[in-house]
This record gives sequence, structure tokens and C-alpha cells, in this order.
Amino acid sequence: MNPILADIYSTILPSAPYIIAAYALLWIALLVYVLMIYRGTKKATAQLMLLEEAVADQQKKAE
Amino acid sequence: MSSKTLKLPEAGQWPDKLVAPALIAGAVLSTIGFLMAFFYVAPVGGATVNGAELIGDVMVSQKMLLSQKIFYFHMPVAITSFIALGFGCYYAVRFLMTKNQRFDTCSRLCLEIALLFVVLTMITGEMWTRFEWGVWWSWEPRLTTYLILMLIVIAYFVLRSSVDEPERRATFAAVVAIIATIDVPICFMITRLIPSSIHPVVLREGGMSPEMGMCVGLCALGMMLIGFVLYRARFGQVRLTQRVDALKETLDDER
Repeated sequence: MNPILADIYSTILPSAPYIIAAYALLWIALLVYVLMIYRGTKKATAQLMLLEEAVADQQKKAE
Repeated sequence: MSSKTLKLPEAGQWPDKLVAPALIAGAVLSTIGFLMAFFYVAPVGGATVNGAELIGDVMVSQKMLLSQKIFYFHMPVAITSFIALGFGCYYAVRFLMTKNQRFDTCSRLCLEIALLFVVLTMITGEMWTRFEWGVWWSWEPRLTTYLILMLIVIAYFVLRSSVDEPERRATFAAVVAIIATIDVPICFMITRLIPSSIHPVVLREGGMSPEMGMCVGLCALGMMLIGFVLYRARFGQVRLTQRVDALKETLDDER
């Protein structure tokens, strides 16, 4: 390659891993947070179903 | 303020109707911003090279800085963290005025979102710093004030976990949330207040080309919408958990 062009492009490849890491880590962190919310919602919904069953049992016993 | 006139934030209210469109818009805008950053906005020039070459239809005499592409998401996530802190402060003040735990919940979740985006700002900033400055950390004023901000937000959660009594915990936490927000304008203005700072200043005349501004604007809007969606999703989950816990307590009392 022409030495001037080589100089112009000299920082492109060495910086690529840092750019890829910055973007990848950004989206991974957001995804992890979304998964945390999803798991929390799933757990709360399961507990709610158990509570509904417990309430139904109590009502049957009361009858 | 009486509880009858006090309108409390709740899951399922009108902001939740905006979640689906906000998610779509946020995803689309951030994707367009990402593509623009790499395929539309011209690379920024660095050190001058010994000569010039015609690339496309432009004479280039500087090294091309691909690392600058990190900036298009670094600044938007930083702005989103500031906005989340602003809302956290608003709800903290509302809590101090009303002593209603719902506002404490809102403030806590805003600070959680703020911490997420502060960490993202740090990650993206560190990647740029490592390549451009050759170090993982520099005690540069912007970095230092932002680190202080991150430590205050972490301290907020440490404080919350160390106080058991709900009202005391919420009161202390509200004060820390307000202190954290006071650091926001300091972080923002520090590169102007200390002109010797080596951190780039872009939000001033000539700092950004119109293309760069448009790309940053789209990414910022996309990130803000994603932040809003995350907040509403987390709020819905936390409210559901709180209702389940309240129901459990009622059932236990009845037994």
C-alpha cells in the first residue's frame, strides 16, 4: 500500500477491538438487565398463581 | 397533602401504553444511529500525516480515527443517565414532600436505570480512553466527576441495603438521590469550567458537524426511549412483586 495511505489508515485496525468491545458490552449489559426484569416478572407471576390457589383452598375450607 | 388528591404512579397507567411504540422507536432509532455512525458520518481526522491522498472525493492529510465512532453511543448513554437521575431526584423530592413509599419506589428504579447507563457510559468511555490515551484510567476532571457520580449512585444502593426501617431508608435515600443529581451539572460543565481538561468538548459551536449532530441526536433519542421502556418494565415488575408481598401478608394475618 502507498505509505501515505497506510499512515492514514494506520489506527483503523488497532482500534477495531475496542470499538467492537464497547458496542458489544453496551448491548450485553442492556440485555442482562432485560433478562433480570423478565426473571423477576416470571417469579412474581408464579407466586401470584400460588397465592390464588391458596386463597381458593381457604375459601373451600371456609365453606 | 391528603391521600385522596395524591395521584400515585402505578403500573398500567397511561405511560405503559407508550411502552410498545417507544420500544420499536428506540430500537429503530438506535439501529439507524449505529448504521449512520459507520456508513454515513465521515471519520474524524487525528494527527497529520506526511502528505495527502485523495480518498473518495476528499483530500485527506490526517490519520482516520475509527475509535471516535464509540462517541455516537457514549454521549447518548451519558445523557440518558443524567435524565434518569433527574427523574430520580424529582421522585425523591416528591417522597420527601408526601412520605409516600410509592415515590421512593419510583426514585429507586430511576436510580437503578441511572446506574445502568452510568456503567454503560464508563464502559464505552474506557474503551475509547484505552485506545486513544493508552491508559485505562486518567484523573481527568470529566472522568473524575463522573466517577464520583457513579460512586454516589452505588452508595445510594449500599445505604438502602443497610437501613431496615422503610421510612428512614427512603428518607436517607432521597437525600442521596438529590446529592447525586447535584453532581450532574458539575459533570456536564466541568470541561468548560476547567479549560485545561483534555476531555473533548463537543456540545459547542464547531464541535460537531451537522451529520455528527444528527447521528448523536438519533442515538440519544433511541437510548432515552430504551431507558424509558426499561424503567416502565422494571416498575411493572416491582409493583407486581410488592402486590404479591402485600397479599401474602394479608393471607398470613388471616390464618
